[in-house]
Amino acid sequence: MELDVRGEMCPYPAMKAREALAKLPAGECLEVLTDHAPALSTVPWEGAKLNYRSTIEPAGRGTWRIRLEPAEGTLDQKQALAEIARRAAELSKG
Amino acid sequence: MTTITPAAPSTATRLPVKPLALGAAIAAAWLLLDQRGFAIGAFWLIGVAFGVVLQRSRLCFAGAFRDLILLGDGRLFRAILVGLAVATVGFVFLEARLAPDPGFGIAPAGPHIQPVGIATVVGGVLFGVGMVLAGGCVSGSLWRMGEGYVASWVAMAGIVAGTIVANRQWAWWYDNDIRERTAVWLPAELGGYPAALALTLAALAGLYVLVLWWESRTPKMPEFPAPPPEPAFGLREQLRQGWERVWGGHGWSYTTGAVALAVISVFALGLQVPLGVTGGISLWADNVLGWFDAGALPLKGSELLAGCTPGGAEKWFTVRTATMLGLVAGAFTASVLSGEFRLRRPRQRSRYVQAAAGGLLMGYASVIAIGCTIGAFFSSVPSLALAGWVYGIALFGGAWIGVALIRRLP
Repeated sequence: MELDVRGEMCPYPAMKAREALAKLPAGECLEVLTDHAPALSTVPWEGAKLNYRSTIEPAGRGTWRIRLEPAEGTLDQKQALAEIARRAAELSKG
Repeated sequence: MTTITPAAPSTATRLPVKPLALGAAIAAAWLLLDQRGFAIGAFWLIGVAFGVVLQRSRLCFAGAFRDLILLGDGRLFRAILVGLAVATVGFVFLEARLAPDPGFGIAPAGPHIQPVGIATVVGGVLFGVGMVLAGGCVSGSLWRMGEGYVASWVAMAGIVAGTIVANRQWAWWYDNDIRERTAVWLPAELGGYPAALALTLAALAGLYVLVLWWESRTPKMPEFPAPPPEPAFGLREQLRQGWERVWGGHGWSYTTGAVALAVISVFALGLQVPLGVTGGISLWADNVLGWFDAGALPLKGSELLAGCTPGGAEKWFTVRTATMLGLVAGAFTASVLSGEFRLRRPRQRSRYVQAAAGGLLMGYASVIAIGCTIGAFFSSVPSLALAGWVYGIALFGGAWIGVALIRRLP
């Protein structure tokens, strides 16, 4: 499933992602398209809370595709958070 | 990971834009200093610094209240508390010079010591609802206007409309509430500056701990870690890294932003008045109506009131309008320098309606409460005014209602 939240700013990308994940059939992935840099940490974090792993790839200038996929086993939330924060800092830098 | 990254290639291709943006801001400051006198030029620069700080640190006052309530995330709110503490210390020194003996009960002119009344509470609640609906307060909308958010321009149109309506109803608020209320100034009530300072700092520290407790109920996002230091070889590389720290995509931490804002506000008070933007918006909106003989200014009794009022005799270039314009220019310059400027339109059409409605509420509230999150809160609490606290609590209540509203929106 794809969720296009381009042009939306906080808190909507994270709120919409949370709603979409709640409706998502078990085992499926969610792809979130955003051009709001803060969403690079807030959306993966909403995912992590619901046990989704995230990968981010650039999709044009100042736009990113965040892919949330169900994690095998249970995510270590502390570790996931640190990872999300580090990655968001690096991504928004480039 | 310590990889040495070359200068971002994307910045090299658009190089001329950056010096142009920087040059324009400096040229405008020069022009204003020359044409309009020192104070206007100085407040333009203060506005530019204000905009740069907000853009670089993404210091969003609406987000501070909203994220605490909606997501249990208090990072922004705690940063603002730190900023308030720093500003308070600076303001106390300046107030003590302006009014060495607070025992007389005469508050110094300049600091934002507004009357405390029904208008403060109603204004705070309306503003709180409005800023959450619009997705940014007045300063937040000004800064995002400079960054290219189209919805923020719509919010500003709502703010302008709100001030126009409220300026027309001002006399009612003044006669029925504001006129009879006292501008409670803590040093006069508590018998001096030390007690007022101690009480304010203790209250801020107490709130900080309260927010930490609130956050501890849900797992919280850490602050972004500082990017790993890269080895620097020679002056050129050191300078490049310094530039990257200031203008790089990772921005500044919220706390850096809030402390910088506090320092700017102390400078502004040292010159004349602390930070405030809504007075300038209200003045220009009324000036335009004045062309059609429909102006409502000056506001009844406002010459005796402290805070972010539309001001006195000067029609266009006041310290408030200079701050307001400087803020947009500063945010624009910062977003261009960091390569973040882009026109952004929400796909969800209803966001425009939200922005306009939220703006309308904020505009109205900022007139009756004599300021926004900046003028009536961030500049008022450090002025040792009770009004800042009452307004802040009312903002929280309003933001709570606002969060309940946006949860039901598409």
